[in-house]
Amino acid sequence: MNTRSIRFRLTVWYAGLLAGLLLFFAALTWLGLARYLNRSLTEALARQARQIGESFLFDVQTSGEGYVVAEINEHLAPEKNDHFVRVTRVDGSALYVSGRPLNGRFDPEQVPVVPPPSWRAAAREEHLPGGGELLIYDLPFTARDGSRFLVEMGAPYDSIENVLRGLLLALALGLPLTVAVAVSGGYLLTRRALRPVDEITRSAERITSRNLSQRLPSAETGDELERLSAGLNRMIARLEESFQYIRRFTADASHELRTPLTVLRGELEAIAQNPRLDGEVRDTVGSSLEETERLSRIVESLLAISRLDVGEARVERVRFDLAELAAATAEQMRLLAVDKKVELGVEVNGVVLIEGDPARIKQVIVNLVDNAIKYTPEGGAVRVNVRAENGHAILQVEDNGAGIPDEALPHVFERFYRVDKARSRRMGGAGLGLAIVQSIVTAHGGQVAVESEEGRGSRFRVSLPRKSIGGD
Amino acid sequence: MRLLLIEDEEKVSRFVRRGLEAERYAVDVAPDGPQAIGLATTYRYDLVVLDLMLPGMSGTEVLRRIRQDSQQVPVLILTARDALGDKVEHFELGADDYLTKPFAFAELLVRIKALLRRGAVSRSNVLRVADLELDRLTQQVKRAGRRVELTVKEYGLLEYLMLNAGRVLSRTMIIEHVWDQSFDGATNIVDVHVRHLRNKIDEGRERKLIRTVRGVGYVVGEGEE
Repeated sequence: MNTRSIRFRLTVWYAGLLAGLLLFFAALTWLGLARYLNRSLTEALARQARQIGESFLFDVQTSGEGYVVAEINEHLAPEKNDHFVRVTRVDGSALYVSGRPLNGRFDPEQVPVVPPPSWRAAAREEHLPGGGELLIYDLPFTARDGSRFLVEMGAPYDSIENVLRGLLLALALGLPLTVAVAVSGGYLLTRRALRPVDEITRSAERITSRNLSQRLPSAETGDELERLSAGLNRMIARLEESFQYIRRFTADASHELRTPLTVLRGELEAIAQNPRLDGEVRDTVGSSLEETERLSRIVESLLAISRLDVGEARVERVRFDLAELAAATAEQMRLLAVDKKVELGVEVNGVVLIEGDPARIKQVIVNLVDNAIKYTPEGGAVRVNVRAENGHAILQVEDNGAGIPDEALPHVFERFYRVDKARSRRMGGAGLGLAIVQSIVTAHGGQVAVESEEGRGSRFRVSLPRKSIGGD
Repeated sequence: MRLLLIEDEEKVSRFVRRGLEAERYAVDVAPDGPQAIGLATTYRYDLVVLDLMLPGMSGTEVLRRIRQDSQQVPVLILTARDALGDKVEHFELGADDYLTKPFAFAELLVRIKALLRRGAVSRSNVLRVADLELDRLTQQVKRAGRRVELTVKEYGLLEYLMLNAGRVLSRTMIIEHVWDQSFDGATNIVDVHVRHLRNKIDEGRERKLIRTVRGVGYVVGEGEE
C-alpha cells in the first residue's frame, strides 16, 4: 500500500479523527453514568433511612426497641438484600445492627461508629479493612420524645461498579469495531471517489507525441476531477497544436533547404564536367562538392530525426529476427574493420524476434558498428552481441577503443554533439549518427544506453520490445 | 529523344536542361502544371521528369492528368519530400522512378537512361572495359586475361561500375545499388571497398581503370585523369 497516496492519508486522518471523537464520547458517557448511578443509590438509601426513622423510630418510646428491630428485619431484610443498616443511640451504643449479608461481601461490625457531635445528614464512603466498599447514608433522627438516633443505611458499591465495568467492556469492544468498519467503509468510498484519478493517470501515460489526438476520458460529473481532466485535455490540445506546427515546419524546411542544395550541387557538377579546368580549380570545385554533399547529408539526417521525433515518419511494422539482421549487417561491414585492422566479432545465438522497420533498425546497427570501428585503434576489437532478456531484445555493440570521457557521456546522443571535435569532423561525421540511433530506437518503443570508461572502451546497449514466436 | 522537364525552380531546370542537352537530349521545360499538361498532351515525349512541388497545381495532379492521356510515357519524379508514404502513393499513380533532392546529376542521368532503355537493356553476359573483363554468368573477372579473385561485394561493385562504364557514379548511387540505404550515412564503406577493388584490379598496372572524381564519385573507364 502506498502510504503517500491521498487515499491512504485521507483514511488515516479520518480514522484518527473518528477514534478520538468516539473516545471522547465514551469517556463522557462513562462519567455521566457513574455520577447518575451514584446519585440514585444515595437517594434510595436516604429514602430507606427516612422510612426507618419515620415508620419505626418515631414512637420508639411507646412501641419499644424490640418492635423497631423486628420491623426493620421484616421490612428491609438487610441480610438478604445485601444492605447495611445500623441505628445508633446518642450514647454511641447500637440499637440495631444488621448481620453479615448472605453473600458475605462485607462485615457490618467493621463499619466505624460515628460519634454524635459529627452526626450530619450526608452520604459517605467506607472502605472496610476486610474488603468491600460501602456507600452509607447517615440520617440523624429525633423521635417524638426528643431522644436522638443516627440511622445509617448502606449498600456495597459493587452494583454500580458492575454496571460501569459492563459499559467499559462494551465500549472497549464496540469502539475499535466501529472505527474499523468506518475506516474500511471510508477507504472504499475514497477509492470510488478517486478511481477517475487512476483512469486519468493511465490515459495520460498512454499519450505520447505520436498520438496527441487522443484525449483523456471526462466524466460529466461537474466535480473537481472533471475540471482536472478538462484542464489536462486543453493542455494536450495546445501540445498537439505545437507539434503540428513543428511538422509543418519540418516539411517546409525540407523543401526550402533542399532546393538551393540541389541548385548548388547541380551547378558545381556542371563546372566539374568541364575537361579544360586546371588542377587547382578542379580541386576547389571537388572540395565544394564534398561539402555540399556533407551539407545534404546533415539536412537529411536532421529531417529524419525531426520526423521520427514528432512521430510523422511512418515506421513500417514487420516481424523479423534482430540476431540475423545484426549478423548480416556486421558481415557487410567486415571490410571496414579489416581495413582498420580491428577485430569484428559477432555473438548471436538463436532467433530474437522484434517488430519494426528493418531498414531503420539496420541503420542503428550500421551507425553503432561504424562508430565503434572508427573510434577503436588498430589492433582493437569490436563485439556485436544480440540476445533475448526477459521481454526485451538486446543489441550490444562493445569496443575496447578510446572510450568516452565521463563529462561527455550524458551528451553523446544529443544532436551535433562531438566528443572529440577536431577528430570527428576529420572523419566526416556531423555528430548526428547517435542522435539518429536514439530517435529510431525511441520510435520503436525501445531505449539506448551507453557505458564507457575512457581509454578502455565503450558499450552501447539497445533494448527493444521483443516479440515471441507466434504471439502478438 | 525528347524529354519534358516540369520544374518551377528556374535554376534547377537550367542546370538539368544544360546537362541533358549535353547528353544530346532535346529538353522542353514547363514551369507549372497547366503548361506541363499542355505540352505533354500536344507532343509525344520519350520521358517526363516531374517535380512534385509546383505552384498552383500539385505535381501529383499533373501526374494523374498525364497518366489519363498516356499510359506509356515513363515518369521520373523529383521531390524535396521523401516520406515513405509519398513514394508509395506516387508509384501507385504510375510514376516509374523517384529521386529525392538534392541529387547528383550523374544519378539523374543514370536513372533517365535506365528508364529510356527499359525493356531493351543490354543482355550481354560479358562486360568489357579495355582489358578488364567481367563474365556475368560465371561471375569471373579477368584483367589482361589473368583471373582476379573478388569477394561478393567487390564483384557487385565492379559489375555496377562496369554496367555504367564511363559514367560517374555517386556514393549514394553505389550504396543504393550494391548495399542498401541503411549505409547511407557517415560510413566510408564505399571508399574502403573501392580501395580494395582497386588494389586487385589496378595494382601494378600502368593503366588505371577505376578513377575517383572528387566530390562526385567513382567511374570505370579508359578516360584520362
